[in-house]
Amino acid sequence: MTAKKLFLGVLFLMCQIVLAQKDSIALKEVLVSDYQLKHFSDAQSVRKINDTVIERNQSSLTSLLNYNSVIYFKENGLGMVSSPSFRGTTAQQTAVIWNGININSQLNGQTDFNTITTRDFSEISVKAGGGSIIYGSSAIGGSIHLNNDLSFKKRFKNEIRLNYGSFNTFGGNYKLAAADAKTSVNLSISRNSSDNDYEYLNTKNLRNENGQFYNTSVNLAFGYKLNQANVLKLYSQVFESERHFSGTLVSPSRSKYQDLNTRNLLQWTASNRVLVSTAKVAFLSEKYKYFGDFDSDHFETSKAETFLAKYDLNWKISRKINLNGIIDYTKTKGIGSNIGNETRKIGSAVLLFKHQLLKKLEYDLSIRKEVTNAYQSPVLFGFGTKFTASKHYNVKLNASRNFRIPTFNDLYWQGAGNPNLKPESSYQAEIGQEISFGKFNISATAYYMKIENLLRWIPSGNIWVPENVGKVNSYGVEGLANFHKKLGSHFIGVNATYAYTVSENEMLKKQLAYVPYHKFNTELVYSFKKINFNYQYLFNGQIFTLADESDVLKAYQVSNAGIDCNFGSKNTYKIGFQALNIWNENYQSMPQRPLPGRNYMINLTLKF
Amino acid sequence: MAGALFFVSCSDDDTKDAGRVPLGSYDLGVLVLNEGNFNTGNASVSYISDDFSVNQNDIFSIVNDGAALGDVAQSIGFNNDLAYILVNNSQKIEVVNRYSFKKVATITGQVRNPRYIAFANGKGYVTNWGDPYDPNDDYVAIVDLSTQTVTATIPVAEGPEEIVSNNGKLFVSHFGGYHYGNTVSVISNNTVSATIPVGDRPKELQIINGSLWVTCKGNSFYAPSGITAGKFVKINPDTNAVAATLTLADGQVVANLGTSAISGTNIYYSIGTSVFKCATDATVLPTIPAFNAADQGAASIYGLAVNNGRIYISDDAGFTVRGKVYVYAAGNAEFAIGVLLNRTTVGVGPSAFYFNN
Repeated sequence: MTAKKLFLGVLFLMCQIVLAQKDSIALKEVLVSDYQLKHFSDAQSVRKINDTVIERNQSSLTSLLNYNSVIYFKENGLGMVSSPSFRGTTAQQTAVIWNGININSQLNGQTDFNTITTRDFSEISVKAGGGSIIYGSSAIGGSIHLNNDLSFKKRFKNEIRLNYGSFNTFGGNYKLAAADAKTSVNLSISRNSSDNDYEYLNTKNLRNENGQFYNTSVNLAFGYKLNQANVLKLYSQVFESERHFSGTLVSPSRSKYQDLNTRNLLQWTASNRVLVSTAKVAFLSEKYKYFGDFDSDHFETSKAETFLAKYDLNWKISRKINLNGIIDYTKTKGIGSNIGNETRKIGSAVLLFKHQLLKKLEYDLSIRKEVTNAYQSPVLFGFGTKFTASKHYNVKLNASRNFRIPTFNDLYWQGAGNPNLKPESSYQAEIGQEISFGKFNISATAYYMKIENLLRWIPSGNIWVPENVGKVNSYGVEGLANFHKKLGSHFIGVNATYAYTVSENEMLKKQLAYVPYHKFNTELVYSFKKINFNYQYLFNGQIFTLADESDVLKAYQVSNAGIDCNFGSKNTYKIGFQALNIWNENYQSMPQRPLPGRNYMINLTLKF
Repeated sequence: MAGALFFVSCSDDDTKDAGRVPLGSYDLGVLVLNEGNFNTGNASVSYISDDFSVNQNDIFSIVNDGAALGDVAQSIGFNNDLAYILVNNSQKIEVVNRYSFKKVATITGQVRNPRYIAFANGKGYVTNWGDPYDPNDDYVAIVDLSTQTVTATIPVAEGPEEIVSNNGKLFVSHFGGYHYGNTVSVISNNTVSATIPVGDRPKELQIINGSLWVTCKGNSFYAPSGITAGKFVKINPDTNAVAATLTLADGQVVANLGTSAISGTNIYYSIGTSVFKCATDATVLPTIPAFNAADQGAASIYGLAVNNGRIYISDDAGFTVRGKVYVYAAGNAEFAIGVLLNRTTVGVGPSAFYFNN
């Protein structure tokens, strides 16, 4: 085993050195952090959310995606645990990818979308559909990509953003972007906090008690060009937070939860005209402490530490053919109050092939196989094709098998965990069309997905245990549209997304609980000279809270409006005002957990 | 409602109340406690009349202007005309008239994850887990029944579960909360006066003919000890001495003891979906079930009770859909044990039965 690792290590190093010796093309000015997202996702729907949109929205990933994507969220009160549902799947079936690395929790398999501060990233992409072949576990419903692309254009830019509003909510973010031809640095430091004690609408003075929270994060992206052919990149992130977990309309709470996540990724890319070779090492850690009573010293805690080594070689066989091989090795150690001390090792090999068959037709093939001591892993494979009929119209077709591996909690939870669990697996297919005329783009995607071996915790005597029980068939349609136009000093922009989702329990033939049939959101942006106005609207259809469809949570519509004015001439000095939930909708995305009524925020942005 | 009763003549108990004037809408029937999903606030109480002609869900909400009962209803205790509904994760006890279900009071102070209630010495005694993760903060709260407030607390070992009174003394089973208990505490003069070792995970307590019966479920196979045998322990409540023990046969220790109820001279209990019947003076437990509720479609047995010659069982159906109640004959001249008399859909997670008859 050790000798094998050593051999692989030497092999990586040789590839890197050999490449470095060849002459090479100049590296592009902007280096993307997620190579496969850019080069191997042509046959799928990828929606990019750029920094202007990130800036306009609230700082949690929940809020950004709730108003700008088809993903439905279950939020245990504002800022509390937030679980996404993408294409009717579970929170563990959506992968969050940080600069190309899957960061879903090893402990519970999902990312809490309220533990990601959006302002730390230069771009956030939402990729619908299967992605397990490239990104591993959980990319069934889709994946969210948090990227820090590095630019080597000479600059030195600072940005400070402060906001303050209702419920003593504070947000602060500092960003530095500095670069010359050889070095590039992106640094972001964020702090968010809130008393979060909003009134529950239509009650007698009930408030969101015990909901206060804060979080602090630092995110660094650093790139250094050794020479024209070689570049070193370092991505580093620390996220720390403390949240009191708020109660519900009918149950008070005294609990408190602390998160500490660190992520470090070092990569070395060597490239020439034919080959791009990347070696990566990463170390990720996650740790939580749960206090049943915030006043007590007694807490439950677990942590997981992941070491990851990855080698990625892309071979441009010809102008039309691209072959990409990736091998990686992941070792995760989990230690905790409820999971004991367990180590899991996973090795995987991936092959991606892309071919521009005709001028208008390209296709890709992909395969992944994992080897691990923890569970039986299926062979994953995928096929995609894109037919570009004209510059106005294209059709995409994609089919793949994907999976979600059992988590440390599923496997090792003391008194309940089951070491014999199988991964959840899916077969899925989709067809998408894109129409674009100048500044008007519209796309529609229809998909079908069959998920087997769904992992559920079910009661067994006096305890709940995880089992591979469920089968789910999901199908639906997603539509995205955007339009923008500049007319003299006027600018107008419109974005909209819509999802129709049927996600059916195969046994009951009923819609899964917590999956709305309809979700729609739209944003209207209007600018006149240096004044910007925006209006967001969200419609979330009724959901069932029981699998027999016998209990519902009603549909809701929430609107936000914002206005800001830039007083700077050369630099940006922007003051803005936002009214959130302006129509004071009384709504819940989880039963008995009302979300805030109308509230306000002022913000200040300085760029210099 | 007192009309055409579906008569089942009884072997264990005599039908005492048939024909009497009902004391409220929810008299002459069974109250089914539906615990609901954790953190979802959908606990409820259903009513099924003894003649099966009336069944109504969410009776607490219906009677009390749509008020939600709360989050995870754990148990109900009757004291005269009042029913005390212990709502675990809502950290409260709702006091209602047991026949009309009109709300009388809500007890909140010093109630922390309440489990069960018993009445003695003119007071209520409520077992509380405190912070369930903390093994050292569990207690029994003493309720002043005239003011419906907690006036004092008695610290006890981890995971106090059911509580019964006998001659002014209280007995508490220590199921163990999130861990594994194996004792019964005795409380007299508001302090723990003795600890009786019993089997693993003791839960149900019943005083039958002057004896205390303790149902010990046995540890699950996930427990550090591995699976241990469930057993029934008979205790003399005056001396705290163990008088008899009925232990599951070795071959049956592949699953834990489910729910049990003692009626007359018989113990009824479930293992999985099988229902067993055994005389209280037996020396060994039967290995062959009286019937299997799976034959009528039950996926689980969560609650089990016996009343007026009927066996009531509830199927939680995994808590993802509304549960069901199955009513069977307990066995008599007319119907053999296991004959299905009624099946009703109730609320989420039906866990226990309380009889107004």
